[in-house]
Amino acid sequence: MPAEAQPPPEPVRMGSNSADSDLVVQTLSGDRAAFGVLVERYTPQARRVARAVLGDPDDADDAAQDGFLSALVKLAQYDSRRPFGPWLMRIVANAATDRRRRRHVRRAEPLDPALVGGGPRPDAVAVRSELGERLRAALAELPERRRTAVVLFDVEGYSHAEIAGILGIPEGTVRSEVFHGRRRLRALLEDWKE
Amino acid sequence: MKSPELFDHRPDPQLGDALRAALEPENHAAFAARVMANYDRALEQASGPTWEVLASWFRPGVAVAVALIAGFVFGQAMLTPTPADTASLDTAMAPAEGPGLAALVTAADPPDASVVFSSLVEQR
Repeated sequence: MPAEAQPPPEPVRMGSNSADSDLVVQTLSGDRAAFGVLVERYTPQARRVARAVLGDPDDADDAAQDGFLSALVKLAQYDSRRPFGPWLMRIVANAATDRRRRRHVRRAEPLDPALVGGGPRPDAVAVRSELGERLRAALAELPERRRTAVVLFDVEGYSHAEIAGILGIPEGTVRSEVFHGRRRLRALLEDWKE
Repeated sequence: MKSPELFDHRPDPQLGDALRAALEPENHAAFAARVMANYDRALEQASGPTWEVLASWFRPGVAVAVALIAGFVFGQAMLTPTPADTASLDTAMAPAEGPGLAALVTAADPPDASVVFSSLVEQR
């Protein structure tokens, strides 16, 4: 009696609840839609993290895109026993850092908080709040690693250990960076609160 | 927001929300579409040049193969000995004078050691 043919795997659709590790396997087998779901799932986070590093939203989007495509190239190296998010964020953060270094070489001048705020973009000026402006300026005054650690911890909800893996620094250093970053941000925002 | 003096290891939701709002970019769908367009472009670039590379290798590859075959055939022709150059084992072992080594090897009785020695010396 011939064995019954196995049904083909369900095609991945946008908004799928599939586990990241399953999507990685499907992406590696050439499933474009599976990669699309991963991109859709991690786009907000990747863009925020890249922006925390770079400040400028356009540069950040370029870096986030570099990160996604770099992750695609390295996808076979991903260990499915570990969470996908920190692995991807490490690649995105590295892509952003690389881009920032190149920008520094090109401009040969420190980050300007006004520039980091994004500059006057016609499509965004209307919706930008005063608090947002202050926070972006405050973030820009922090060292890159410190502001990235704060964003990964307080915005993205990663643990100290995961951030240590993402940034490639000891966990104790992450704790210190988050602590000092928060303290600086809170001090800078104090007058706004009052 | 919490006191700045606290070394709190838990995320601060208030600060987190404010930072998220400040960092939140617009139009995630457009960004995702842009990434996927680049994914498609990367796939095209990865698969396209393969044939071009193979095609570029084809002609030099054929030329090298022909040269190797010609060299092999020429080498074989040069190394094959002519009949005049050949010598049989018997000819090579034949003594200049006397019974020589062949006679000693084929003898029914074991030879005297002095005969063997003198025979070897004569061969030299």
